[in-house]
Amino acid sequence: MTGNFPYLVVGILFVMGFIGIIFEKNLVKIAIAVSVVEAATNLFIITLGYRSGGSIPVWTMAGGGSSRMVLPTPQALTLTAIVIGLATTALMLSFAMTIYRHYGSLDVRDVRRLQG
Amino acid sequence: MWDQILTGFGYWDVYAWISFFLVAGGMVYLIRSLGRKDYKQGSDQDEIFFGSNPVPEDGEDLKVPASSAYWGYTQALKPFYDVLVGFHTGVATDYAGWYILVTALVALLILL
Amino acid sequence: MSWQVHLPALLLAVPLLGAFLAPLTALGGKGLRNTWFVLVSAAFTMIAFLLWTRVGSTGTAIYVMGGQGWNLALPSGMSIPVRILMEIDAFSAFMVLLSAVAALAGAVFSIAYMDRFSGLEKFVALYFLMVTGMFGMEITGDFFNFFVFLEISSVASFGLVAFWRDRGEALEAAFKYMLVSTLGALMVLVAVAFLYSKYNVVNMATLGKVIEWGIVEKTALVLFLTALAMKCGAVPMHMWMPDAYAEAPAGVTCALIAVSQASLYGLFRVTYTIFGAFMGSPVIPWVIIVLGVLSMFIGVSMAVIQKEVGRLIAYHSVSQVGYMLLGFGVGLLALSDARAMAEYGFTALKGGVYHIVNYTMYKGLLFLSAGALYYATGCRNLNDMGGLGRKMPKTMALFMIAAAAIAGLPPFNGFVSKLFLYESTFAVHPILAVFAMVTSVLTLASFVKIFQTAFLGPALQKFEGVREVPGTMLLGMSVLGVAILALSLFPTWSVNHLVEPAAKALVDQASYIGAVFSASVTGGGL
Repeated sequence: MTGNFPYLVVGILFVMGFIGIIFEKNLVKIAIAVSVVEAATNLFIITLGYRSGGSIPVWTMAGGGSSRMVLPTPQALTLTAIVIGLATTALMLSFAMTIYRHYGSLDVRDVRRLQG
Repeated sequence: MWDQILTGFGYWDVYAWISFFLVAGGMVYLIRSLGRKDYKQGSDQDEIFFGSNPVPEDGEDLKVPASSAYWGYTQALKPFYDVLVGFHTGVATDYAGWYILVTALVALLILL
Repeated sequence: MSWQVHLPALLLAVPLLGAFLAPLTALGGKGLRNTWFVLVSAAFTMIAFLLWTRVGSTGTAIYVMGGQGWNLALPSGMSIPVRILMEIDAFSAFMVLLSAVAALAGAVFSIAYMDRFSGLEKFVALYFLMVTGMFGMEITGDFFNFFVFLEISSVASFGLVAFWRDRGEALEAAFKYMLVSTLGALMVLVAVAFLYSKYNVVNMATLGKVIEWGIVEKTALVLFLTALAMKCGAVPMHMWMPDAYAEAPAGVTCALIAVSQASLYGLFRVTYTIFGAFMGSPVIPWVIIVLGVLSMFIGVSMAVIQKEVGRLIAYHSVSQVGYMLLGFGVGLLALSDARAMAEYGFTALKGGVYHIVNYTMYKGLLFLSAGALYYATGCRNLNDMGGLGRKMPKTMALFMIAAAAIAGLPPFNGFVSKLFLYESTFAVHPILAVFAMVTSVLTLASFVKIFQTAFLGPALQKFEGVREVPGTMLLGMSVLGVAILALSLFPTWSVNHLVEPAAKALVDQASYIGAVFSASVTGGGL
């Protein structure tokens, strides 16, 4: 039962992120909401690879015959996803900054010269 | 290389179309060459007819702008277009909202 | 062993090298940078062509990165591939060839088009990064790499859309594109995680071999489907598309079209190769068909009333993607039924594949000619234009070719793919064909509108000084123009050599899977 708590947290984070993306009006807050969804995704992948009582997935450090390692692939995936997430967050915040210079507002309802 | 594409119901033959356009072009040329060549150049016969008004100097004053194209069509379908344009709000969070909504709908359809 | 076995690696390495050396070429001045831009583009187009011919003659190509040998898919007795794998079947090779041609045309066009602006070494670097990501999506045999390449091409394209950052609209479009696109890419990653949680593999061929039809797979499929459909602009997730396409520099938009086609490729790789005939319900094919019909109709309805050239053409992208979704959806519906497949399914699939090549060529050309109009006049709004046909006859001729092709006027190629789609979708339900035809009529109507208001009409005094665009821009447009003419004049050749192998590869799930597992038998060193 308690083993499923991480998935519950993942679910809550996803919902929080989606609500933030849909209902927040400030561009910076939207960028934060995207980061929350990103964190939820990373937590989800890491939790999938976890085996209770497992050691770090490095063969020489696994120790002993009863070696039980967590899966290494999800950790590699997450590392890549974190790097990509960093890049997208930085780019998104810099867009928000330059949009503010042009529009004088960070409200998403004002940033809509392109419509229809 | 020169044969037709069969679609299972009909066929497509591009060379038949090209010969059709060649024949049609020849006929257009023929009809055009029947026109009168004996008009007086430089006289009033050579002028643009603009509702017997003087033709404006700048083309800006006699061109039809793009927003007038299909005026009747958009006017007749105004209720439809009001809904459709209203739907493209231009708000970034709406774009993401539509994406999440469609994902949720499709997930409901397939999982239930 | 021929050097050609390394073509898949070269296809990624050449544009990547181009991207990272582009800032250095700026030291050598404008000439060196432009030479580099065209040279690398020509090189990857050549590689793409060689790869396409090679796959056509020797069958599905496998390339293993980081192993002892390029074809050692299953090292040391492993039962599943553990290394980074590239797998290029006829459909991938077809997509790579198209994307390369579109990217080459965009690059040649951009030289003169972007000449007035500064910071072009960054432009070239981002352009090549986007191309790398696009090729990677099309040749990868592994879902996680698919996500990585999707992000590479997306992030590079956000930067390119916002390249004219002195325009607020460009930044706005980039932000909107970025928000939905990042969200979609994260959902792709979640879908990969779902599949990984059950099968412990991310390799596409292995997944296709072991997949079953359960809740986990359904969830993953939905996440893939909507994320990739959003990336290629299916209604109602299309709103970023007109914004981004109209605000990006024209050469970039030409390549962005190819990027959206790479997402479409991903969608069909998932639905056909991974799930294929195992898909236990007709819901997903019908969802694709409904998205297709909505995209066709709503996209074209919005296009008719647009006043900006770029936005008008971009709304047509939405509606043309609808045709492809419709064709592939009908093919997917018929996939598990051999009789339906022979009767109409395969025709629909051929129509969809054929429409991809036609669409990439003529839509690229349309955006380039819209860019040429903007370059020559400085206007985006159709209301301000008029009488440009006298000043820019060559642009007008190229625009006419593309407009006739997209509207499906005979004898151009646009009609052939639509003919396949009309006749096959009619067999499923007549209403689908009716929607497709109404869309075609409205497409013609809106291109008549552009042609009449921009090129025809009386000469305007304010355009007295307008001249034909420079030669390299015309050259970039001619690449696509010649491709359209060739496809139109040799329809039998293009159907037999381009379209049919790709469509066959798409339905032949077993050979895509088998290629990875049989590679181990012949496997070994170089």
